[in-house]
Amino acid sequence: MSIYLPIAELSVNIFLLLSLGGVVGFLSGMFGLGGGFLMTPLLIFIGIPTNVAVATSANQIVASSISGTLGHWRQGLVDFKMGGVLLIGAFFGSILGVWIFSRLVAIGQIDTVISILYFALLTGIGLSMLIESSKVIRDRIRRKNVKRKIHYHNWAHRLPFKVRFYKSKLYISVIPPIIIGFVIGILSATMGIGGAFILIPAMIYFLGMPTSKVIGTSLFQIIFITALVTILHATTTFAVDAVLAFFLILSSVIGAQVGVLAANKLRGEEIRALLAIIVLGVATKIALDLLVEPNEIFNLSVIRLVF
Amino acid sequence: MIKQLIILFYFLTGVMTPSISIALVIGSDQEEIYIDANFSGEELLVFGAFYSDPSQSRDSKSDILIEVVGPPEDVALRKKDSYFGFWLNSKSVTFRDVPGFYYLSSTSELADEFLINNQIGLLEKKKSQMIDWSLLTTDWGSIINEKEKEEFYNALIRTKQNDSLYKQVSDEIEIIDGNLFRSYIDIPNTVPVGEYTVNLHLIIDNEISQEYSYNFMVTRVGIEEAIYSFSKNYPFFYGLISLIIAIIIGWSGAEIFKRFRRI
Repeated sequence: MSIYLPIAELSVNIFLLLSLGGVVGFLSGMFGLGGGFLMTPLLIFIGIPTNVAVATSANQIVASSISGTLGHWRQGLVDFKMGGVLLIGAFFGSILGVWIFSRLVAIGQIDTVISILYFALLTGIGLSMLIESSKVIRDRIRRKNVKRKIHYHNWAHRLPFKVRFYKSKLYISVIPPIIIGFVIGILSATMGIGGAFILIPAMIYFLGMPTSKVIGTSLFQIIFITALVTILHATTTFAVDAVLAFFLILSSVIGAQVGVLAANKLRGEEIRALLAIIVLGVATKIALDLLVEPNEIFNLSVIRLVF
Repeated sequence: MIKQLIILFYFLTGVMTPSISIALVIGSDQEEIYIDANFSGEELLVFGAFYSDPSQSRDSKSDILIEVVGPPEDVALRKKDSYFGFWLNSKSVTFRDVPGFYYLSSTSELADEFLINNQIGLLEKKKSQMIDWSLLTTDWGSIINEKEKEEFYNALIRTKQNDSLYKQVSDEIEIIDGNLFRSYIDIPNTVPVGEYTVNLHLIIDNEISQEYSYNFMVTRVGIEEAIYSFSKNYPFFYGLISLIIAIIIGWSGAEIFKRFRRI
């Protein structure tokens, strides 16, 4: 059974969409990730146009990060003040990101740029997950308990405009979080991701936020970035496909909840290593598409007068 | 809802030349193709009958030709080149007002000369050179070389063919009883919306003896149309509603499953 997507202007198998959303949702629930970094490339693989894949992915992430934030919020693990400061940067970043995106669509380089960005992102994510999980597995085998430093002091603490973030027990300049938010905003708008994968380490290592507050705060922040990106794409690139988003959201929300349950029952590291391999597989596929000479070196796109 | 469209088209040249009398009768099962939520492409049925005067010479060769031309659209054709091992888009040509869909079929393979003389068909390389491309407004960008232009023309047709939007065949018209013909034309799910023209020709001895044209529309209907036009006319509210849907499902999903877990 297939469904016609009004904005993508093609029909796709409804079960393919539901299983795609379900699997990505499952992985995101299990690992506490947004899943946008897998959703966008997989949508492109099944034939959804790049611009629709990016814009619709952002819309889907709104739903999955709301689901995730609720749990953290109830436990008081969201630093709203820090989230708000990050958002100031993200606001301007996503406006710039959508502008870059529409320029790239206009000059016909969007597919290439998205591919290269995704290759870099997925390779980075995949390798770091693989290294991290194999380290944990190795340490477990050697029965070692590694203690991690919780607080880092670096240049971020020496800049002006210092503000006290009570919840995170921090007294730092607002400049680094604004810059981080700005970069995440650009990436979110151009790639259709929440950016948790970059945001979380940046919050821990650059800002020195306590790990317990990091996930909730980043999820909270991601709701607003992706919401903004959705609106910006809907109004400038006209690429948000509500029908596609609906099926992805429905299946990913269910998948995410199942993923959360599964995460409690399964051992994390082995699955994390498996996810790393999936991520690297997707990265390899993207790289091959860029490197292997295509069968058809010409590609055709209909010019829609939307700008 | 299937509308019957039966048009009788008489071509009686009896007054002038009493020896020839031919009629072409055309029927089509549809004047509209609706794109709704279940649309996954469709088959367009074109059928009809042709009568030739028994007094006509038996040696003359008659053929039916069906041409379907979709609404014009502007397309950008981009060529990939290898840069440091990466295949990236480089040169780009913009073609204006090319048909969004093109289909040509005939009961037997027609001579190139015939197609060229009557300006029919744009699929094959030989023919594409002969088409009056100067009618097309084309933005060549940095391309000046004639050979490269030809490469782009051919690539335009080839990429459209790969998307099943252009097709030229000579074995899809069924002839029943020598005088009835029927053809199912594949309309893929990626077809552009707009007005389509069906041209039918009865060809006798490599001359067009009869012509008939009619139009049909490909339109979005129902929720597909509502969503599409809403997204174009009220993009901000469209984005907002997409967000609200995401928020409701995201929120309620979490709540519902929380209850499940308590049990």
